[in-house]
Amino acid sequence: MSTRSLTRHNRWDIFIHWFNAVLWLFLTATGLALIDNPAVNPLGQRWPDLWRGILGGGGNLLVVHEVAGVVWVLGFVAYLACNRRGAAFFLREVFRVSPARDIPWLLKKPVQMTLGEAGLRWLGQDPTLPPQGFYNMGQKAFAQAAVAGGVGLALSGAAMLASHLILGPGAQLLVSWSILVHYLCAGLVFAGLLVHVYMAAVAREERPGLFSMFTGTVPEDYARHHHRLWFEEVAGGPSRKN
Amino acid sequence: MKTQLAMLVDSSKCIDCKACMLSCKVANAVPDGAWRNWIKPGAAQGRLHFQPGGCMHCDTPTCVQACPTGATFKDPADGTVKIDRSLCIGCGNCIPACPYGARYRHPELKVADKCDFCAGRRAQGLQPACVDTCPTKARVFGNIADPESEAGRLYRENQSRLVRVVNARTDTKPNMFYLAATAPLDWPVEARMPSAMGLMAGATPVLRGLVGLTGLGVLAMLGRQLVAGGGRGSEESKEDAHVD
Repeated sequence: MSTRSLTRHNRWDIFIHWFNAVLWLFLTATGLALIDNPAVNPLGQRWPDLWRGILGGGGNLLVVHEVAGVVWVLGFVAYLACNRRGAAFFLREVFRVSPARDIPWLLKKPVQMTLGEAGLRWLGQDPTLPPQGFYNMGQKAFAQAAVAGGVGLALSGAAMLASHLILGPGAQLLVSWSILVHYLCAGLVFAGLLVHVYMAAVAREERPGLFSMFTGTVPEDYARHHHRLWFEEVAGGPSRKN
Repeated sequence: MKTQLAMLVDSSKCIDCKACMLSCKVANAVPDGAWRNWIKPGAAQGRLHFQPGGCMHCDTPTCVQACPTGATFKDPADGTVKIDRSLCIGCGNCIPACPYGARYRHPELKVADKCDFCAGRRAQGLQPACVDTCPTKARVFGNIADPESEAGRLYRENQSRLVRVVNARTDTKPNMFYLAATAPLDWPVEARMPSAMGLMAGATPVLRGLVGLTGLGVLAMLGRQLVAGGGRGSEESKEDAHVD
């Protein structure tokens, strides 16, 4: 029974995940390179110099970043148009938070991941984690940040793009603040991205989750342990373990 | 030899004919309602006095500090403050950051614009249009680091009599020098960094700290994974073996 697979992601989900991953990293890299001012440059002078050298100047870099940004938004438009139900399911699951279950999970999980179950016992906590649904609270928190940050990036990016294409001087204040919003959204999502990539690609316990982003399916026992509530929903009734 | 292009102005020679303003507008196709240079009226020793000006290509340009992308920059090759139009997104941060109001947003190009000491004319061996056209030769343009040039000679010989028109709170070290005396003196405003840009500068170390802390958290998890050999993952597979 443990070899049975459960479907977790359809083809569109897998497409948008990797599409977003590639473009997000590229846009972060080129976006950071567009910052060339020591007061607001988090990486230092070498990063903008490197990219402007590769692309033959800041003007080219700006065009490349803008084109990639438009492609990124169009990819999401296509995803929403072709997979409306999948997107609605994703958003519903991501924003459905049960504080009684999810807050203890979110507090305990980082302790478990760094100090282990012994660390939780040492802190006087029950080492078992509350059961989680289709997404665990960590995934939900990152997805919420990615959705909110993505909307912020797209809107502020559109304002900046419009600024030097169509907008008049009255929009200067909007554009000046859009730069700040763009920067903060990217920075916050990037901090979450570090944890996301570690959990998915490096931590062993989530390995089936990574594979499911290629195959679309997870083994049943992985689903039972990591997404108990979802497992019970799709497998019909409580699992035999309880 | 370091190059610093600059303008030396004997404002007592200015007759307020505005030929410099018009020739600049024509030479640089400056749009309606905008000017790249100016003549400000004032009074010196009880007499009417006129002060020609324009972008002062400052040594510590606050407009450059306000530009997030580096589209506005001080070119070390000739000491001028330049605008890379292809990199400017028209955010307008630089406009209130200039104490002299030397910048405007070009309504058609939708980017910041200002005096560039007529870069196009200079490339053809000509003087800036305002200098060329001035009937009284009140404006002298050149490399003040070159003692052979007229600008360099005036700069050197008048060291004790050079006047820089600055706002006391934001002295940007302008490269527009007035000879002996000029008026008016009190018109430059305090350079203003736009609030969004100031917040971005404040947020930069916070974001860097946040990403750094997250990175440390990831390293802590990786450390545990390496030390405990998979941690909970292996424990779970054991449990699975019992269950199934």
